[in-house]
Amino acid sequence: MAEEIRAEIVGYVIEVVAAEGQAVRRGDHVVVVESMKMEIPTVVEDPGTVTSLHAAVGDFVNEGDLIAVIE
Amino acid sequence: MTSTSERQGSTACGHPSPQDRLAALLDSASVEPLHPHDESGVIAVRGRVNGAPVTAYCTDANARGGSLGVTECQHIVDAIEAALREDCPVIGLWHSGGAQLSEGVASLDAVARVFAAMIKASGRVPQLSVILGPAAGGAAYGPALTDVIVMAPAGRVFVTGPGVVREVTGERIDMESLGGPDAHSKKSGVVHVVASSENDALRRARRITDLLASPGVFDPVSVSGPRDLRALLPDRARRAYDIKPLVQNVLDADNNDDPFEEFQPGWAPNVVVGLGRLAGHTVGVVASNPIRKGGCLDSAAAEKAARFVRMCDCFGVPLVVLVDVPGYLPGVGQEWGGVVRRGAKLLYAFAEAVVPRVTLVVRKCYGGAYIAMNCRALDATNVFAWPDAEVAVMGARAAVGILRRKELAALSEDQRDEVRERWVAEHEHTSGGIARALSLGVVDAVIDPTETRFVLAKALAAVPAKRGSHGNIPL
Repeated sequence: MAEEIRAEIVGYVIEVVAAEGQAVRRGDHVVVVESMKMEIPTVVEDPGTVTSLHAAVGDFVNEGDLIAVIE
Repeated sequence: MTSTSERQGSTACGHPSPQDRLAALLDSASVEPLHPHDESGVIAVRGRVNGAPVTAYCTDANARGGSLGVTECQHIVDAIEAALREDCPVIGLWHSGGAQLSEGVASLDAVARVFAAMIKASGRVPQLSVILGPAAGGAAYGPALTDVIVMAPAGRVFVTGPGVVREVTGERIDMESLGGPDAHSKKSGVVHVVASSENDALRRARRITDLLASPGVFDPVSVSGPRDLRALLPDRARRAYDIKPLVQNVLDADNNDDPFEEFQPGWAPNVVVGLGRLAGHTVGVVASNPIRKGGCLDSAAAEKAARFVRMCDCFGVPLVVLVDVPGYLPGVGQEWGGVVRRGAKLLYAFAEAVVPRVTLVVRKCYGGAYIAMNCRALDATNVFAWPDAEVAVMGARAAVGILRRKELAALSEDQRDEVRERWVAEHEHTSGGIARALSLGVVDAVIDPTETRFVLAKALAAVPAKRGSHGNIPL
C-alpha cells in the first residue's frame, strides 16, 4: 500500500534527503523542514521505495502538504 | 463451566469461546466464575494476572453476535462492582454488536447501567478493555469509558457500522477503514495500544494490568551503573531527534519486552506517554518528542498527555516528565481548533495531580509549554535539568529580536551582527539560561546526565506516595 508522506508542520524545506526511486526503511528521513527554529525531519513509517517526491529545497510547506509517496 | 462447543449452535460462527479467551488472559487455573452458568452472551469471572487479583468479563461472539441484553449487562456490572469491592482491576474482552435489538429499550437501559457502573468505578480501580472483534454502539462506548483500550488486528470500533453509514450519509467505507486498528491508532486516538495478534493483545493487557496492580517498591540503589543518556541527543541544538530511545533508557530494562509500554504512539506523536518501571517501581512517562512537530504541544497532544496524567494520578503512578519543547504550536488551525481550551487541560491535570512527579529538562523549555510540562509552580516534586539546558520564555536570539528591534534596526549592517551577538549573550545571562532558572528556584538542580536514573528514582521515592481522588474522564 502506498504511504503518503505529508508535512506535519508548517515551514521551509531546507534539505531533501531521499531521492525518487530510492529504497527507504522505517525511520529514514525524506526531507528536513525548518520550523519553530528547529530542523525537523519527516520520517518514513512503512518501508518501501520513493515513487514520487514533491518537495525541493526552499519550498514553503503547510501542514498536510504532500511531500513524497512511498510504495 | 460449560465450554462453548457444548452450547447449542454456538460454534457456527467459529469465534474463540469466551472461556478460552479468559483462560488466555488470566493466570492458569485462576479462573472462577462470578455467576452460575446461563445461556447469556457474557461470562464474568474472577482471576489473577501475575498473581494479582482481577475481575474480568468477555462477550460471547458466538451467542447472538455478543450483543448486550439485560442479563449480559448485569454480568458486566457485577464484574465491575466486584472489582470495586475487592479493590482490583477489571478487564473487559469485547467482541459484540452492541445493544440487543430483540430486547428493545430494555437492552438500552441495561447498556446504560453498564456505563453508569464504569463511571462510578472510574479512577477507583483500573479498567481495561481489549477489543478482539467488532465492537459497535454500546460495545464501543463501554470501552471508551475505561482507562485503557487495547485492540487486536480483528478489532473494529464504531458507533454505527458501514451499512448504516452508507444508508444515512451515502459514504461508502469498509469496516476496517472505518474503525480498525489503523483508524483508531492514528486518526481518532481512541485506541491506546494496537497489538499484533489476539494473543499479543491479551499479553499487552496483562502487562498493563501488572504495571498498575503490582507497582513494586522503589529501590534507587538498584539502578545499574551510569548510562550516558546525553549521548542519545544530536550534536546540534537545533536538530530534532526521536525521544523514545531516551525514554527506553531512562526506564528499567525488561527481559521480554520493550521497557516502555507506550500509549497512543500513532496519535498526537509530538508528545509521548506510557508506562514502564524505574528502579523497580511503575512510573508513567510524559515526554515531548522533537522529531514530531518539533515536540510542540498542540490541542491533541495536550489532551493526550492530560488524560494520561489524570489516569496515573488516579492509580498512584508517579510521573517522569522529559521536556524538550519549543512551545505551543502557533497557527490559525490550532487557535480555531481550541488550543486554548484543550491546552488548558494539561495545565489542570498536572496542577491537580498529587502523585510524585519529577521533571527533567533535557535541552530546552520555552514559553507556555514550559508551564504546561509540569513546572515548579504547578507543584512539581522536583525540576531537574541537564547541563546547557535552556529554560526561557523564548530563545535568546528571538527575545533580543523583539526587545531590541528598534535599536537593531538603527545600527549599520556591519555593526548589527556583532552587537546582536553581545545582546544575545547578555540576555541569556540575565533572563534565560539555566543559571537564572536555578537562582529563581524554578529548576532545583543541574544533574549529571549519567546519574539521571538514580536522581529521578530517588526524587520520586523521597515523597509520600499519594494518589488522586477523582474519576478518569475520557478527555
